Amino acid sequence: MFFHIVLERNMQLHPRYFGRNLRENLVSKLMKDVEGTCSGRHGFVVAVTGIENIGKGLIRDGTGFVTFPVKYQCVVFRPFKGEILEAVVTMVNKMGFFAEAGPVQIFVSNHLIPDDMEFQSGDMPNYTTSDGSVKIQKDSEVRLKIIGTRVDATEIFCIGTIKDDFLGVINDPATV
Amino acid sequence: MSVVTDSLVHSSSSDDFVAFLDAELNASSPNSSPDNEAENEDELESVRIKRQKFESIEETEGSTSEGIIIRNLEASAEVDVCTHPGSFGNMCIRCGQKLDGEAGVTFGYIHKGLRLHDEEISRLRNADMKSLLCRKKLYLVLDLDHTLLNSTHLAHLSSEESYLFNQTDSLADVSKGSLFKLEHMHMMTKLRPFVRPFLKEASEMFEMYIYTMGDRPYALEMAKLLDPQGEYFNSKVISRDDGTQKHQKGLDVVLGQESAVLILDDTEHAWTKHKDNLILMERYHFFASSCRQFGFSCKSLAELKSDENETDGALAKILQVLKQVHCIYFDKDQEDLVDRDVRQVLSTVRSEVLSGCVILFSRICHGALPFLQKMAEQMGATCLTEIDSSVTHVVATDVGTEKSRWAVKENKILVHPLWIEAANYFWQKQPEENFIIKKKL
Repeated sequence: MFFHIVLERNMQLHPRYFGRNLRENLVSKLMKDVEGTCSGRHGFVVAVTGIENIGKGLIRDGTGFVTFPVKYQCVVFRPFKGEILEAVVTMVNKMGFFAEAGPVQIFVSNHLIPDDMEFQSGDMPNYTTSDGSVKIQKDSEVRLKIIGTRVDATEIFCIGTIKDDFLGVINDPATV
Repeated sequence: MSVVTDSLVHSSSSDDFVAFLDAELNASSPNSSPDNEAENEDELESVRIKRQKFESIEETEGSTSEGIIIRNLEASAEVDVCTHPGSFGNMCIRCGQKLDGEAGVTFGYIHKGLRLHDEEISRLRNADMKSLLCRKKLYLVLDLDHTLLNSTHLAHLSSEESYLFNQTDSLADVSKGSLFKLEHMHMMTKLRPFVRPFLKEASEMFEMYIYTMGDRPYALEMAKLLDPQGEYFNSKVISRDDGTQKHQKGLDVVLGQESAVLILDDTEHAWTKHKDNLILMERYHFFASSCRQFGFSCKSLAELKSDENETDGALAKILQVLKQVHCIYFDKDQEDLVDRDVRQVLSTVRSEVLSGCVILFSRICHGALPFLQKMAEQMGATCLTEIDSSVTHVVATDVGTEKSRWAVKENKILVHPLWIEAANYFWQKQPEENFIIKKKL
């Protein structure tokens, strides 16, 4: 799920950036530091949308660096247990398939794939129903339910399932 | 009339499950519409079976009305007891629970963060075995260095090899070339002659893995050179970062039954636990640095501006052996496919190489003798220690020994020990004329 929230961060700036462009330098450093990172609490920071407030800078003892507390608005993405997501399949193998929903890596194990779908190996490994009507292969879009999430510094891992009602392939790349 | 004979115990909670079922069935059984007696008999039969404890795990089949109830009950029982078949990012892949255990084996080469527990690995191996046998394929684990290719650091190229800098093939269309310079890794790699036809033909008989002692980035780069389309080794590239033991390769990270895996490697001691699956490969030394690494002072193939024979080299010969083993494995109509073991087939094929030969060793140094003797015996030869009329070959390094002179006198074939080693590498008895002992002057 996406959220638009206000976060705060203490940014350290080297004196070489002081001057007319101090604020721009601070903002670009913030974006470089924060966009693409993850935290357990907020999830994945997708983009900084605006700066709310930059506090007074404090010169640190011993170095010439100055610390600015910056309040900024950003869009974050955080998957929740029980959430339904759409994802794109990236790899299919006999253990299940891996899918991606933006920065989130989701694994759907074959235990959580409906029993009537069987793994077919070959050039393009896929899971297919016995009548061949539904196929999950690389680049298929699937709707899945998250049953567990874990966040570390740069990535979010999720376990998903498609064994419930209304879950499974949305769009077959072969027909597109 | 179909009798419900399937086991209903799908997980370990058999006691509760059976009691639960009993309760459920007793509530419904005597009054349920006995449209025909057969149906009632089925019910009673199945109740009797459910009361027993089952060790084996089978999947429920059949679509009797009983079957449908059972499946629903099973589903609710399973949710309570998750067997945690594996983990992804430290979460169970079935129930999402956090697992911090060290159980099982990491399969980082398939996808980062994936870990499977032993029961699941066995289950996958069995399931995969069936699919493999239907498609008539076995597994083949291939080593990279000195088996399929030879790599060297750019800095280690000798002066006589510097002409190679101008002869490297383009990295844009990898399938046409065999000599590649990888700037970002400071390496030059030469693919062994015949490697592409070898991979193409082997892929029809085997599911192939790469298993190298190099690190993961190196392994993936080499896989890209050997397999630019990603059709052979897609997510089956195992590097030393994926192995469970240092300096040893193991089949625990390969998702295939050991009885169906063949290994092609030039280093025997890396596979101490799986010697029976190993086909030893003659080392490919293209670069001088490789020769030096193994203590050879002769000129390398690159320095001599020559290369291994394409159609008659090591890879071509081993391909024939692989075809032979594959053919025998899938050919026997006597036994059930599931009971066959590729290791037995391999030792049978090996024992035909020198079958019928009776070998007498003469003054071979003590260190090498047991090794040579074992090699010869594995290939089907009989080894004797004393002169006997049944001897067919005398193996010696010196023409002057008593046994050597006896051999010449009795018209027995006198060969150098390398004849045995050549037979071991090529899986074929080599012409003895090529292994005559040179007279010491």
